[in-house]
Amino acid sequence: MSDSTPHGFHSTGAEGPAVGQDEWVARHAERRIMQGGPLGKVEDRVRAVPWWAWLILFVGLFCLFPLVETGGYVREVAFNTVLYMLLALGLNIVVGWGGLLDLGYVAFYGIGAYVYALLDSPHYHHHFPTIVSIVIVVIVGALAGFLLGLPSWRLTGDYLAIVTLFFLQLFQTVTTNWQHVTGGPFGILNVDPFGLDKHHQLATQHNGVFAVSYLYVALGIFVLVYVALRMVNNSRTGRAWRSLREDPLAAEAMGMPVNWLKLLSFASGAAVAALTGSLYAALYGNVFPLTFYFVTLITIYTMVILGGSGNQAGVVLGALIVSPLLEVLRDSGKSRIMFFVALVAGLALFSRRSPRIAIVAAATLVFGFVVHAICSAINGSWVAGEHHGGFAGFVDHWVVAPDQMARWIAPASYVGVICIALVVALLSGWKRLALLVPTLYLAAFVWENVMLSKPEPARYIVLGVILIVLMILRPNGLLGERRVEIV
Amino acid sequence: MQNFIQYTVDGLTLGSVYALIALGYTLVYGVLKLLNFAHGDVFMVGTFVGYGVLQELGGPMNPKVPIWLLITLVTLASMAVTAGLGVVIERFAYRPLRDAPRIAPLISALGVSFFLSNSMQLLFGATPRNYDLFEYHGGSLYLRGLHIAGVTVPLLRIITIVAAFVLMVILWFLVNKTRTGKAMRATSYDREAAAMMGIDIDRVIVFTFILGSALAGAAGVMFALRVPTNVSIGFIAGLKGFIAAVVGGIGSIPGAMLGGLVLGFAESYVQGYVPNGTQWSDLYVFSGLVLLMIFRHQGLLGRPDIRKV
Amino acid sequence: MSLLALQDVSLSFGGLKVVDGLDLHVDEGEIVSVIGPNGAGKTTLFNLITGIYEPDGGDIVFDDKSIVGLEPHQISRRGISRTFQTLRLFLNMSVKENVMAACYGHTKAGIFRSMVRTPGMRREERQIEDLARTRLEFFGQRLMGYRWDQPAYSLSYANRRRLEIARATATNPRLLLLDEPAAGMNPAETHEITELIGKLRDDGGYTILVIEHDMHVVEGISDRVVALDHGVKIAEGSFEQVATDEKVVEAYLGLKTTATK
Repeated sequence: MSDSTPHGFHSTGAEGPAVGQDEWVARHAERRIMQGGPLGKVEDRVRAVPWWAWLILFVGLFCLFPLVETGGYVREVAFNTVLYMLLALGLNIVVGWGGLLDLGYVAFYGIGAYVYALLDSPHYHHHFPTIVSIVIVVIVGALAGFLLGLPSWRLTGDYLAIVTLFFLQLFQTVTTNWQHVTGGPFGILNVDPFGLDKHHQLATQHNGVFAVSYLYVALGIFVLVYVALRMVNNSRTGRAWRSLREDPLAAEAMGMPVNWLKLLSFASGAAVAALTGSLYAALYGNVFPLTFYFVTLITIYTMVILGGSGNQAGVVLGALIVSPLLEVLRDSGKSRIMFFVALVAGLALFSRRSPRIAIVAAATLVFGFVVHAICSAINGSWVAGEHHGGFAGFVDHWVVAPDQMARWIAPASYVGVICIALVVALLSGWKRLALLVPTLYLAAFVWENVMLSKPEPARYIVLGVILIVLMILRPNGLLGERRVEIV
Repeated sequence: MQNFIQYTVDGLTLGSVYALIALGYTLVYGVLKLLNFAHGDVFMVGTFVGYGVLQELGGPMNPKVPIWLLITLVTLASMAVTAGLGVVIERFAYRPLRDAPRIAPLISALGVSFFLSNSMQLLFGATPRNYDLFEYHGGSLYLRGLHIAGVTVPLLRIITIVAAFVLMVILWFLVNKTRTGKAMRATSYDREAAAMMGIDIDRVIVFTFILGSALAGAAGVMFALRVPTNVSIGFIAGLKGFIAAVVGGIGSIPGAMLGGLVLGFAESYVQGYVPNGTQWSDLYVFSGLVLLMIFRHQGLLGRPDIRKV
Repeated sequence: MSLLALQDVSLSFGGLKVVDGLDLHVDEGEIVSVIGPNGAGKTTLFNLITGIYEPDGGDIVFDDKSIVGLEPHQISRRGISRTFQTLRLFLNMSVKENVMAACYGHTKAGIFRSMVRTPGMRREERQIEDLARTRLEFFGQRLMGYRWDQPAYSLSYANRRRLEIARATATNPRLLLLDEPAAGMNPAETHEITELIGKLRDDGGYTILVIEHDMHVVEGISDRVVALDHGVKIAEGSFEQVATDEKVVEAYLGLKTTATK
């Protein structure tokens, strides 16, 4: 009988799954077997640790962190990361639990920031106590989410994505043009920091440097939201949301009011985003329309997808990875380090599947030195470019970096490396490995000469690539569950 | 009256551009049920390719070839490059996700869109590029043209509208009167059944992307003939093309054409007649369309979906 | 009065009439089977009853009240639950959660109470868990113990069918609609399902309407059998009566004259 063995395991045998056994189930069982042994034991132990223990550990480390790193800039990056963690949590409610593609999510972030700014700034001369402002912000955010969710009553999947995208553009148009209320492109300035009232405010800066107290405030809010969402996930609403994501038709047939639940997930996600918006506005003191647009949206989506949509800890992890990554990529020295680290890590990861990768790595190294030597022999100025920051010495002798580049080289090499990389993706076997060598070298060339000089678009290009590659190779992200879609 | 003609011509020109973009969306949605978010950025690349070729051929001041040939070459170059780009995007970003959950290619498309716009910014910077065809012959392309009721309809506009119309007719012909077009329509109704009938789905999809992306390239040139282009227009152009496709009924080719024209006229008249129209036209038009979507989500010419459980 | 009554119900898709003037009733405590060749409109019948489709004409009356026009979740709360021909479990959720999720309709802890975990909410959660346990225990040891926290996709096919029935009973229905519960099962499993359906009525007190192709099952469980073809009722009665009815044989096998050729 098919279910007599424990754990639902079945040996698949050479002929394939046992009769009556679901093929997909059989393959899944295999996957778990593979993780036996010492690594499997570690994984089991790790899985057994309760979620709140992780949370305490994490928050503890985060709190100690400012004692170690006293620079204002790093603390500010940490604060931004907490903001992103909150935003990712909120988006997770809509996308991960509700299964709805909300492309207007960032508008709620903006609504929260603007409402707070309107309530606590010289713009309208209101200065509500923070407690009051935050409550209002959350309510307005939830209402806005509710309103945007209303079209979801009748619309499914793709149509909903379009309408939410309209909404994002709408928000941008309104905030940019309604100068009277929103300050237009110049935004609202001098927004009050958090505080009990006008005379007891939490200063956003100490001696011109980011005030670490805001980091703790942000962390506190994060913990509250995380725990609250955890509680909801394990309640009937959470189960209903997840059922809705799995199969809306079946959920409806089992007594769950799917349309209402969609609205609720929209409103909840929006409320979290709005709350984060107020935090943003309070610290930075200014709100501008462009902060809350497409770029931020894609960034948050990358975090959610990378971490694993549907998994709370996952999306937080995604934010923890992407946010500092974006910061690091601003600086050319650190970017260079990141590139080589990623390169080596990538090679190491793939070497598990095919040990010949080590040969590729060695070959690329040699290839690079050879090319560099040839180029410097032909024309000294071809390799005369200066480098600063991490690994500069290595790069000086390995990557061809001209003093001045002809204008056509940048687009040509960029397009070239993309083309050659795509070709590599299509090939297989030794041809692929062989072509990988010049590809990697060309990539280093492009990174050094083309992308490092323009960190702004470069770091977003990295995000875009991460998204595409993620969806193709590992759509469930780092911690997401293996998805089984019902068509 | 003069204003009315002016706005109508504007609406027609704008509408043609939107229609061409919308057609790209609708064609791809028809065969793949995918909203190709990267389409707007392909359009943007088309505008830049056109600019590049224009400069190579001497620019508007000293064109190396007669002006009609210049514009034709620019358009064809743009269409060729965007068609190629569309094929590459389909092959590497969408095809691996053909059997994945619906959300996967959507997110991949977002990634591609992001990648394209930032890549262009990396390579060409954020400064706008102006085709500057006004420079040609002292602006004759703009000052000469048809005279209707006291208004001069510029030559360039006429060329644009006629060209768009011609392209749409060619498209209609390709989709309705050729075998590949029939294969496309079959695939859009039921991909599996089409495959079982011996239709090579991959080729049909590639063909669809070539058509759709080439149209976007043409639309790009037509757009850039009037307005300077920059690397960020992809998003909003894509959004408007989207709206047009959806209003007309996504998946319906006449719908995309109609939707584009409706959007073009709506924008033009709102900007012309409503006070503060230029700033707020987006708001009114978008809101109107959201309402339309709510009450008739299949658009003007779309088919209501029949759900089988 | 019947628990469920369809009165002259019709439904068309485009130009195609899928259900035509159908009259059907199920009395409390009965097990009624619906049979018919593919395309006869059987699953459409279920979709009509559960509110996924709305009839073009006629009325559907449950417990003396019309349910036409109600949303599916409202109909579920009135006391009608179902399983699906193609199995629609919440595959990435655990076995226990699948059943617990279906308790939504008769519980009431809202999102705020869940966030702070009020005593009332916690009490309700325990009740939900107990209910889930009870429903799963109905199937003996098959869905018990360690299986509970396993994701539903790890279950074998037969267990998935059982889980779907367990989930359907968690809404506390009075009427249970089972859509081909024995599909894809081997003879031993089929026998088990047959017994189970009887047990559902006898011990669980559910009224059951079953769509089935396997005539052994139909014979073993039915108080009454209804045969459909092309959306029309062509026969009704006991299993023997319907199985030998000329029109039924014709619908399944074609006209006798053509068969002898």
